[in-house]
Parts: sequence; C-alpha cells; structure tokens
Amino acid sequence: MSASMSNRLLLPANDTRVLLIKWVVALLVPVVVFTLWSGESIVNAVISPQTSSLGISTDPVALLAAAIFVTVFYASTITLAGYLVAADSGRRGIIELWIDVFIFTLVPLILVVIFHDLILGLALCAVVWPVYFFVRGRVRKARHYIPPPPLESLEVLDVGERSILISRATAGGFWFGTAFAVVTLITDLVYFVTGSLPTLLLIWALIRTLVLPIAGYFLGRLAGVIALRRTLAAKGNGGNGANRVGNGIGTSLRQQLEVLSTTRAREEAKDLVPNDLPLRSTGAQRFYLILLGAFVLFYPILDPFLFGSGTDGRLANYGDAGRYVILALGLNIVVGFAGLLDLGYVAFFAIGAYTWGLIGSPQLGFLTGIVVNPQLWPWFFWPMVLGAALIAAFWGVLLGAPTLRLRGDYLAIVTLGFGEIVPIVFLELDNITRGANGIIGVYSPNFPGVLWTGFTPTPYYYLILALIALTIFANIRLRDSRLGRAWIAIREDEIAAASSGVNLVRTKLFAFGAGAFFAGIAGVYHAAKLGVVSPDNFSFGDSVIYLAMVVIGGIGSIPGVIVGALAVYAINELVLPQLDTFAADPSSVFFTIKSSIIHFAPGFTYGSVRNLIFGIILVVIMIFRPEGLLPSARRRRELHAATGGAEMGALDVVPGAPGFEEEVRVD
Amino acid sequence: MRWMWYQEPLASKRRYELISSKASIEEAGNYPGNALLALDKATKHFGGLAAVQDVDLQVRPGEIVSIIGPNGAGKTTIFNLITCLYRPTSGDISFEGRTLVGLTPDRVVRRGIARTFQNIRLFNNMTVMENVLVGLHTHLKASVLGSLFHLPSVMHEEAEARRRAIELLSFFGTGLVERQEEYVVNLSYADKRRVEIARALAARPKLLLLDEPTAGMNEVETLEAVKYVRRLRDELNLTILLIEHKLTVTMGISDRISVLDYGRKIAEGLPEEVRRDEKVIAAYLGKASTRGEKAPVDEKAEE
Amino acid sequence: MALFLQLLVVGLSAGAVYALIALGYTMVYGIIELINFAHGDIFMMGSFITIALLNLVGISDTSHPTGLTLVSVLLVACLGSMLICSALGVLIERIAYRPLRNAPRLAPLISAIGVSLILEDLGKLWKGNQFIAFPLGIHEMFLQTGISLGPVSIDSGSILVIVVALVLMVALQWMVTRTRIGRAMRAVAQDREAAALMGVNVDRIIAFTFFVGAGLAGAAGFIYCLEKGTTIFSVGFELGLFAFTAAVLGGIGNLVGAMIGGVMIGIIEALASLIPDSYVTHGLGLPHGGSPWHDAIIFAVLILILIFRPTGLLGQRTPEKA
Repeated sequence: MSASMSNRLLLPANDTRVLLIKWVVALLVPVVVFTLWSGESIVNAVISPQTSSLGISTDPVALLAAAIFVTVFYASTITLAGYLVAADSGRRGIIELWIDVFIFTLVPLILVVIFHDLILGLALCAVVWPVYFFVRGRVRKARHYIPPPPLESLEVLDVGERSILISRATAGGFWFGTAFAVVTLITDLVYFVTGSLPTLLLIWALIRTLVLPIAGYFLGRLAGVIALRRTLAAKGNGGNGANRVGNGIGTSLRQQLEVLSTTRAREEAKDLVPNDLPLRSTGAQRFYLILLGAFVLFYPILDPFLFGSGTDGRLANYGDAGRYVILALGLNIVVGFAGLLDLGYVAFFAIGAYTWGLIGSPQLGFLTGIVVNPQLWPWFFWPMVLGAALIAAFWGVLLGAPTLRLRGDYLAIVTLGFGEIVPIVFLELDNITRGANGIIGVYSPNFPGVLWTGFTPTPYYYLILALIALTIFANIRLRDSRLGRAWIAIREDEIAAASSGVNLVRTKLFAFGAGAFFAGIAGVYHAAKLGVVSPDNFSFGDSVIYLAMVVIGGIGSIPGVIVGALAVYAINELVLPQLDTFAADPSSVFFTIKSSIIHFAPGFTYGSVRNLIFGIILVVIMIFRPEGLLPSARRRRELHAATGGAEMGALDVVPGAPGFEEEVRVD
Repeated sequence: MRWMWYQEPLASKRRYELISSKASIEEAGNYPGNALLALDKATKHFGGLAAVQDVDLQVRPGEIVSIIGPNGAGKTTIFNLITCLYRPTSGDISFEGRTLVGLTPDRVVRRGIARTFQNIRLFNNMTVMENVLVGLHTHLKASVLGSLFHLPSVMHEEAEARRRAIELLSFFGTGLVERQEEYVVNLSYADKRRVEIARALAARPKLLLLDEPTAGMNEVETLEAVKYVRRLRDELNLTILLIEHKLTVTMGISDRISVLDYGRKIAEGLPEEVRRDEKVIAAYLGKASTRGEKAPVDEKAEE
Repeated sequence: MALFLQLLVVGLSAGAVYALIALGYTMVYGIIELINFAHGDIFMMGSFITIALLNLVGISDTSHPTGLTLVSVLLVACLGSMLICSALGVLIERIAYRPLRNAPRLAPLISAIGVSLILEDLGKLWKGNQFIAFPLGIHEMFLQTGISLGPVSIDSGSILVIVVALVLMVALQWMVTRTRIGRAMRAVAQDREAAALMGVNVDRIIAFTFFVGAGLAGAAGFIYCLEKGTTIFSVGFELGLFAFTAAVLGGIGNLVGAMIGGVMIGIIEALASLIPDSYVTHGLGLPHGGSPWHDAIIFAVLILILIFRPTGLLGQRTPEKA
C-alpha cells in the first residue's frame, strides 16, 4: 500500500498532474514573492538575530512571535495547496486561474511594496480590481462564457474516489513543499555564491530543503481530511458532520440541493467540494482567515521586516483605522440589519468619548472633588469600556424613541438633527466639559507589565484588535439570533413583521441601543488613545463618513463594512493627505493638477475636497453597485431582484395582482 | 391528527402539540354569546369616507366564516381593524371577551389572532425557514444576552423552533419542507401562499384570518386550497375568518357568510340563504338582475 | 409690543425665504417621495450665482445703481440665478435620482446625501470657506431705505423679499391649479401609474418639478443674500433644515402648507431671540441667546410635529394599504 502510495506521489496520474501544476504554480508565485520580500528576512532574523541587517531586537518574545508567525504562515500555505488540489473539480481553465490568482495576490503585494504602506496599497487595489473585473466580464461575454451549473460537479464520492481525493491532497502538499524548497534553495545558493549568506543560514537552508517536502506530505494529508469533510455523503447530512442541520425528512443533501433554485443551489454549493472555484469555497476561506488572523495578530512584530522603520507611526494609524471599523460595525446594526437610516451616529461616539474623558481624567477631580490616584485610576478604564458603552446605549434608546413611528426619510432627518445637537451640547456645557478647550490629560488604561501611554501605539493596537474581535463576534451572534431575524423582518416589511408578532418598538429600540453601544466603545478607545477630548473631533460631517463606510462596504454585510471602513479610512486619512504631499513636489503630476485647479479655486488642497470625493463615490455606488463592495448574498439579491427577476421554481403561473374581479357590475 | 413525525437526533425528544385541541372549544361557553370574535358596530372613517360602517360580526369557535362583497366593500379594512393596523373610529372589537381596540398588532398576535395578506407579504429575501421562524417570534423567549453567549437554553430553543417550523411546513406535505432553505422570492405563487399560512400558524393562533387565500389560483390549486383550509379547521381546531371572492369557494366551505357592500353589512347567514338574498344579488350584479331574471350566482354555485 | 411687531416683520421676511425653499422640498417629496437633501445646497448655489452674476455685470461694492439700471441688474441676477439653479436641479435629478427610481428607499436617499456633499464642496472650492459679501452698495441701499408703519420699520430689503416671494408663490399656485402641466404634476403626485396610463410623460413631469423647485430655491438664494448681505457655503445645510421643518409643519406634499409653514418657522425663529438671557441660560449654565438656540428650537418643533402630528397642519393622512 505504501509503495503504491509513494508511486502515486512521485508519479501522479495524469489529471492529478494537471491539477498539481495548476495549483502549485498558482500558489508558489505569490508565496515566493512574499518570501523574497520579507518572509526570508523574518526567518533569517529568527534563526540568527545578530546577523540580521535590520537591527531587530533580540527580545525572545518578539523572536518567538515571529517564529510562530512564520510557522503558521508556511504551514497554512502548504495545507492550502493540498486542499486546493483536492478540492478542484478541474473544470476551470489553468491560465484563467493563474491570471485571477496573480491579480489578486501579486497586485496588492506590489502596490504595498511600492507605496510602503499597507492600507494605501490595498486602497489602490480597490481601484485596480474593479477594472480587472470589468475587463474580465467583457472578455467572458465576448467569448460567450457560461459557468457550468453547480450541481453537476457535486458527485457523491465512493470509497475509491475518496482515497483519490486524499492522495491528491497529499500530492499537492508534497509537491508544493518540494517546489518551494527547491526555489528557496536555489536563491540561497545564489546568495551564498555571491558571499552574502552566513554559513548558519546555509545550514538552515539545507535543513529546510529536507524538512519542507516531508512537512508537505503530512500537511497534505491533513488538507485531504479537511476537504473530505466537505464532500457530499451518500445519505443523511452532508459529509462527516459538515454544517447542515438535518431537514427532517432524511433526503440527502444532494436531493435537497436539487429542489432549490439555481441561485440558491449555487450559494450552497460553495460549501462543498469538489468545486469549480475552490478558491471561493468555505474551506479555503478558513485558510484565508487563519492567514489573515496570524498576520494581523503578529503585525507589530512583522512591520519592521515589511516596511523598515516607522513602525510606531503606522501602528498608531492602524489603531485609528480600527476605531473606524468598530463604528462601521455598530452603524451596520442600525442601518444594515434593521434598516433604520441613522445620520447622527457621531452623537454616540461623542457620548462614549466624553464619558471616559470626564471620568478618566483630572476633570473628574474638578467636577466632583473626588481625588483619584493617577496610578490606580487608569485601571478603571476596563470596566468603563462597558460602562460608557451602556451609557451610550441608553442614549441610543432615548434618542431613538422619538423616531419610532417615522418612515425612513424622516427618521434620517431627525437622527441628523440629534447628531448635530449632541456635539453642540457638549461644546456649550463648558462648565462640565471645558467647551472648546476640550478635556486634556485623559488617562490611558493600565495593564500589568505593559507601559501604556498616549505615545505607545502597540498596546493600543492590540486593544483595538481585541475590541474589534469582540464586536465582530457580537455582531455575528446578534445577526443569527431571534433578534437579528426580527431586525431583518422589520427591514423587509414592517407591517408583515408586526402582524407576525414582532414588537416594532422594542426591536427598533434594541437596534438603536446596540448600535450606540459599539459607538460608545469606539469613543472610549478614542478618548484614551488621543488623550484629549474636544468637540472638534465630533462634527456632523463624521456621521456622513460613517454612513459612507457602511454603504460603500455593503449594507448589512459584516466583512463588507469592515472593508468599507478601511477603504474610507484610507481615502480620508491616507490617500488625500498623501496626494497633498505629492503635490508639494513640483515635478509630480499632482502638482500640475493642483495648480491648474487653484486658478479658479483658490484655497484648494486635496484634503479639502474630501466631501466632494465621498459624495461622488456615494452617488456612483448607489447607481452602479448599491449593494456595496462586499455584499452579503441576501443583499445582492435584494438589490438586483428588480432587474433579474425572481426565478420560477415550478411551472405555476405567477399572476399579476391577485384579487381580480369576477363579478361584473351592470347598471 | 395525521402528522408525519420526524426522527431527529435532538437533545430532547419532546413532541410538539400544535394547539391545545379541545381547549378553545370548551372555553367557548365563557364568552358572551359564545363568540370568539365579536365586532360591535365597528366603524372606520378615512377623512370623509366611511370604509366600514356599523358592522356587527360574530365568529364562534370552530367556525369557518366568510366575508364577501364587491371590491372596495371594506373587507380588508375589517381585517386591518381586527389586527389593529387601524384603529376603529367607533365601535368595539373583542376577542375572547376582551377588547382589542388600542392594542398594537404584535399584541394582537399574542392574544391569538394571525392573518395572511391579500397581496402576500412575505419577507422576500429570507428563506422559507426564516420566514416561519419570524412567525414564531412571539413564542421564543431568547434574551439578547442568551443569544450572544449561546446559552444552552437558547440553543435548545432555536433547535426546537426549527423543528416546529418543519412541522408547520409539513402540514402542506413534503414540498415546502424540502425547499425550506429556498429564498421565498423564488417560490411558486401557490407555495408562497402556503408559506404565509405556515408563518401565521407559527404564532399558534386560535383565530386565523385569511385574506383571499385562493386569489390568483387556477382551479386545481383552488381545490387544493379549499382542502387545506378545511384541514386547518378540522385538524388544528382553528377558527377561520375568510375573505374570498370566488363564490364557489365560499359557498362550499363556509359555515356562515357575511356580505358587505360599501362598508355595511347587507346580509348574513347560511350559504344557501345568502345566495338567494336579493340584496346580495343586487350588490354584485346591479339592480337590473333582480327584476325576475335567474341570478347567474345560482349557476356558478351548482358546479 | 413694538419689539414684538418688529420681530414679526423680521420673521416674515425670513419666513418668505424659508417658504420658497420649503416649496421645493414639498414638491419633490410629493412627486417622488424623496427628501431631496441637496435642495438646501441648490439654494446656497443660488446665492453664490447671484453674487457672481452681479460681479459679472460690473456691480461691485461701491456701485450704487438706481432706477432702471438697478431694476435690470437685479432682474438679471434673480432670473439668472433661477434659471441656472433650475438647470442644476434637472441635471441632478437626471443623474442621481432617476436611475434609482425603482430602487429600495434607502438608495435615492443616500444618493441625495452624496449630491449634497458634492454641492457643498463645490461651493467651498468656488468661493472658499469664509463668508462672501453681497455687493455692499446695493445691500446698504436696501437696508437703509424703507417705510415705517407706526412703531415698526420695514426696510426695503425685507419688502423686496416679501414681494418677490409672494409673486412667485402666487405664480406657482396659479400654475399648479390652472394649467395643464400643473394638473399633470398633481396627477403624478397622486398616483404615478394612473397618470402614466392617462398619457402623462412621467419622466418629463418629474424633471419639470425639479426645474420649478430648484428655480424657487434659486430665487430664494437671490433674495436671501440681498437681504442678509452675506452668504457662505454651509448656509444650505442650515437653512435647508429650517425649510424642511417648514415643509413638514405645513404638511409635506402640500404647497400652501409649505408657504404657511415657512412663514411660521420664520416667525418662530424671530421670536426665539426673545428668550431672555438671564432666565434659562444662567441658571443651567447653558448658552446665551443666538444661533444654537435657534437650531435647537426649530429642531424641537420638528420633533414635536413628527411625533404628534406627522401630517402637518394641512396634510392628509394616507395610511399604508395593508
């Protein structure tokens, strides 16, 4: 058995070979590029910190973290390779796939390297990718390309086919590991020959060349097992414990899918393998999440390798971006889930910020005469995160109450008014809030063993990461709960919802409260990080920005609004000021553009047209892609139902308006 | 009751009873005049227009009562009054002896009245299962915190709710159960009507208001709909109030019929009585037909 | 008492401006059920255009035209502003609202917000973010001449404002009730499909509605900066909110209501400055008099109306058909 196994490994069958070439190349190129860019240097730094040219600290924790990251990264990619080989149904072409993969992985890598900034690079990708999509769509149309129906490839696998699956996965992992080992070995040898590689690293290279193929073999088997769990079983629920709750009749998943409409079946088929687009399957998505998670978690360690110096500044920026993400997720509850257009969201952000500003700063002493120990008081931050969020939620309910009976447009105006008034109230209550001067000296939180001030971005980075994780977790749980269903029902049809027993008042107030809750969290974070709370941080214009985040990203879609938040942040804080910096240099094209505009618009800077840009983006998105960049499947259907039309399942005739008259009035 | 029981590997093996079978009929004696639902001179004016004027109506437990009348007679308005989407200008509406006036629609559901709509108001971009689950909203007690932390009680309740929804869908056979994950917008028209009824049933009502349940259906579908309306009353012990335009349906299925015209009740009684009532014929066909010609209504009912 | 009457006059002239803007809101809402967030900014553009046109024909701060020159100059400014704003309104409808005619409610609303942002920034680009002055000479002329009715003095600026507003409102009312196109507008507002079935070109009528509404906003821009003497790119947002409140107060969709509502809001705002400094403000440490109070009061009015009488004074209750 093992003999034939290794035979099959080293001399794979023809179709397996095709798949191997397809996926190994597809994954190898981006991984190698990344490795050459910084992966290599990370590993080298771990192995021999002294010789690393980047002067990385030899702090064992940092090195350990880097080592973990590297292991996770490469292990995941190898396993992913195995999974993809196994999961592919082989019906999609190779070149097409390669182009897709390279556009999606190499373009961001290149842009990030060129612009030396992660978010900026990704923001520019957001420009490149739609162009690519458009072109690809046109090309497909021209070639009359029709995607094959999803169900054909969903075969129930018998035992023989299952073992083929596993062997494919194993082969995938093995060959990817081998290929990668070979490539890196060659590059290392080149370095060695030119004399810039220390011996220690050469030894490491040789070890690596032996280890990687073996690791590839075992990781490939693991990938095979993972893929197997997502196949169709002959009877009962799909696969070994894969997602589906039994439907109660005992029909197999295959039969269930058959009775569904094509669009719905296609959605469900994404879960299963073999698949036409294994890159999009939920199994692959798990890998992406792991990679993303590792990257984000270890980012502070990695940053010097990726971009050189200036880590602190970047981390501080990402902390701010994180705040946008939380605000977008919170607003998503109100606008996305419940469908209530809230234009005054900044009010709750301000309430959260001022709450910590008033309590967690010397201002508390001025107001109440309580003298607090500046060493101990910052510990109060942690309970105050919850406390301020609850206070914000309370106000959310209070300010939402007058709007309950209003229809969408009126609701928007009233919330807009509140969004205007709350910052003004904070401004004018200067006995309490020091008005325009703002509150200064707001404390940063305390945490054992961590130096945490307004000037240390790393703890704040991890804090916002934790808060974001909590927020996402809460959002997903809420969305899939009874309350979440009630929200969606209200959004779809209030009258039907009420007539089905949904208490409109409570459900809407809950939405406002929940949304405000997260805004409060963001507010507390912002106050602590900035150290200052002043009314100019909260203008009405910000509410519109938050709405733009949700709209651009995809109303109601959790990953969508995260992307939207980052995109808006990028435009707002990075792109536009960057353009101004470019324009300062007379030789750049931006300078020429700027000077010509200044002719009839004095006082023009790229930063000042922020609203103009957002306005244009909003209008364009609403007209061409109202479901946003990363919509939830539900939303995409909602917004294209008018054009696409509902599918007919059975042959029943869909009538016009029911209730046609049979009686005739004759006078 | 003929139910298909499904073996489910669930935590608990509790079986669900749909409605307390005899209870609602036995309690009937407690209501004034034996009526489950009573409209007492219910009136609704919109501006200067009297959509409904002084309508008296009583529905006794276990009955199937139909409201018929020409278009614009105020039938759906009456439904809206009962479910408190409108507030009556004057008059009273009571259910189980207690007044409904002033309640919000969701409280009416809690009291035990559910309805379907003339124009099918389903949640289009939710699946069949999700639609029925919304119908179960009143009977689920999951708290927000419970949902957040996936407390076992909440998870159990969700699983039971899904089971319940499957049972409700299976009232109509296996078709909807198989397609429970389908988005409602992709269903056939007849299926959509069934889902709407299942959603209404999820609220465990005692009284079911059906607004033109056979509208838009061909003869085969209509026959099937009539059958399941009967089953709703027989198997689930529901009381049914029905708006219907097809006289064949109303004549065949109703215990009693009320006829509305221009917002007023012009006739009431057993189907045969109503069929022959002059006022009814006049309302539908115009005064000319009462001058001795045989009413076409009779011919239709003879089918 | 004299103060009260004087404030009444002030309120009346402010109200005239609000009424004209409110008419635009209410007409658009009546016909496509959209709150045109960008409408206030069209008004702002109108005021900018007025000043630009005056500068174009050679009027500067020191010019003191009289008689025929004055009339013709003002006419050019007013009509020019109205026409350009009308064109702007039609353009906006065509680009940002028409494609979304059948989209769910949120879409045109967000698009309107986007347009509003665009217009505000364009205004900021064009004239900067400081106050811009109406040609001083003319403004002062209007400010310093006037009539006195007993204890109350009304300056010519206010008179002009009221007169222009009245003329336009009467003309609008006549057009809507007595002409064919006005009838078509009312028909489309009542029932779009039925009107289409009757042969009305719905698209054109909607475009025409925007044309008229924006034109009125342009006129409002003209009289506003004439009377006030200054304007700024953010004036659209603030006055837009006031005017929208006026439209809601009078009953959204109802033209006469918008006119009445506008006047009422103007008067309320004027009377708001009566709030004595000492009483409320010092006691609570709240702001004393001035602009924040106006905003808060008007906004409170809006909330109260929407809670207690959402159909406004003259509006009809149209319950949603179940």
